[in-house]
Amino acid sequence: MTDPPSHGRASYELPLAAERGPAARSDERACLPESLLLRHVMWVCSLRWIVVTILGAFGLLGLVQGGPLAWLALRPQGYWPLAAAGLLALANLAFIVHARGAARSPVTRGAHANLWGQIVADLMVLTVVIHNTGSLETYVPFAYLFHIVLACIFFPRSWSLAVTAVACGLYIACVALEEAGAIPAAGLYADASLRRLMDSLPGVRLFNVGWATLTWLVVWYLASHLSAMVQQRDHELAETNRRLVGAQQERMQHMLRTTHELKAPFSAIHANVQLLLRGYCGEVPAAARDVLGRVARRCQRLAGEIKEMLQLANLESKAQEPLPCAELDLAEVIATCIEQAGPVVAERQVAIEADLRPANAVAAEDHLRMLFGNLLANAIAYSHPGGRVRVECRLLPDGRPQVAIEDHGIGIRPEKLARVFDAYYRTDEAVRHNRESTGLGLAIVRTVAQTYGIRLRIESAPGVGTRCILTFPPMGRRLAPSRERKESDHGLPVDRGR
Amino acid sequence: MAYLLIVDDDEDFASAAAMTLRASGHEVDVLLETTDALRRMKARTPDLAILDVMFPESSSAGFDLAREIRGAGGPVAKVPILMLTAVNQKFPFGFAASDIDDHWMPVQDFLEKPVDIAVLCRRVEDLLAKAA
Repeated sequence: MTDPPSHGRASYELPLAAERGPAARSDERACLPESLLLRHVMWVCSLRWIVVTILGAFGLLGLVQGGPLAWLALRPQGYWPLAAAGLLALANLAFIVHARGAARSPVTRGAHANLWGQIVADLMVLTVVIHNTGSLETYVPFAYLFHIVLACIFFPRSWSLAVTAVACGLYIACVALEEAGAIPAAGLYADASLRRLMDSLPGVRLFNVGWATLTWLVVWYLASHLSAMVQQRDHELAETNRRLVGAQQERMQHMLRTTHELKAPFSAIHANVQLLLRGYCGEVPAAARDVLGRVARRCQRLAGEIKEMLQLANLESKAQEPLPCAELDLAEVIATCIEQAGPVVAERQVAIEADLRPANAVAAEDHLRMLFGNLLANAIAYSHPGGRVRVECRLLPDGRPQVAIEDHGIGIRPEKLARVFDAYYRTDEAVRHNRESTGLGLAIVRTVAQTYGIRLRIESAPGVGTRCILTFPPMGRRLAPSRERKESDHGLPVDRGR
Repeated sequence: MAYLLIVDDDEDFASAAAMTLRASGHEVDVLLETTDALRRMKARTPDLAILDVMFPESSSAGFDLAREIRGAGGPVAKVPILMLTAVNQKFPFGFAASDIDDHWMPVQDFLEKPVDIAVLCRRVEDLLAKAA
């Protein structure tokens, strides 16, 4: 995702949660096979339009006297290709309407039935095509293989065997009915001598039918075996992914508890150091005051670290769902963050330029403050003394809010851009420039951005500076605020629908 | 001078807070558990109660006590409460100012530990001034 440098800066766009690797997709497949199958249903329907087009075109060409069919030594086919194309088109429309209805249904069912219906309809129309084009003298019967292979991919082995049996049965019935004279033998070729020759050699006919059915059965065996292996792997991958997600959740919960347990004794140390420093316990000698000052500063840093660890653990913990969201003006939230950064801005001697225009988004205010606060803190911390940080908030022409935070500080090397969002990762240059950072700020930013589907692009060049661009999703795609009240383990209202 | 009651199981923190508030001229008592707190408050009603949230007896004992105080009737029910807690202010365990209401969080204000003792003193004075 690291792009070549543009305007002297390399860029990296944080992948959204839905775009993460195959593990996420495997999990989805394991949980929602019907909904996934519906997507395949639509794919098969779109392929069927190609078949309808080919059949229709073939039918129209057949209507042209002395046209391309005559040139190819094929005989006119009458209206059956057009009738077959029309029938297939109607069936396809019905399948699409059914699949869309099933997709909108809160309980997704019917994808299997839809696929079954499609396969049976296809096999019947295909048998009509095979009969009319010549059941023995052309390779058209091998088109059954498409359906056999698709059945092997989408269905269990027993079902795909049933599809293969239906295909074999329809073909044998077609040839047998032609043989018995129940249906008149047709054909594609203008010269019917090949058909007549085959009709006169029952052994060849039997061999051809037997070889075709054997081929379909062998293809079914190989395809279904391979498909079962792939599905087994897929299932194992989904299971592994589920366990990993569970372990990650457990780790986060443990981290949350541990960090919280650390906070209480730390608060006592912090309070008592303040008592000594402020003279509540009497005059403290200068040397002891220096030592206490160092303890107080480390306390301050530890407090920040604990706060960030808790924020990250809370964000990554499933227990926090559903998120309490409200419609907020991003410009106001950013202005508050800039105000809160005031003391650090003064300490680092950095100037902040803000161009904030109203842009509403639906989110939890705390999460937005974490997002903008951390990006702003980074821009300030990695600027040079006397530097300038520019913050912009605006609405894009398509209505999406966009926020950009730009500094002219130390910058990030292109090969490290993709890693800066990892928890505890810090570049060597960042460590040299600012020893105080915990390395958790951008991990918090990543988690908030991915939770809300915010596109985050970071552009940077060493010695030039860094620019972070946040593009919020359109209003319709945001997480809906929930007004349900719940109590946490502490009897607190977890979700107040703010 | 006001009479303040701190209910917090962390003795080290509670004593530091008590010392600070005493230095500001207040009379301060410390209780390390919630079980006897309501009876003590009825025996001598404080001008302000400072409550922790998590106690060994229950992780929400501080909130339960706040609700009991509000339901106790008489002058005790009107005691201003300052919640002082190490519970993270963020979700899912934490809370924000908008969570303060009569049922869920019947307190006047809250502070998150670790707290600057100057901020603690200022909030206490503000609450006492409002109550007066």
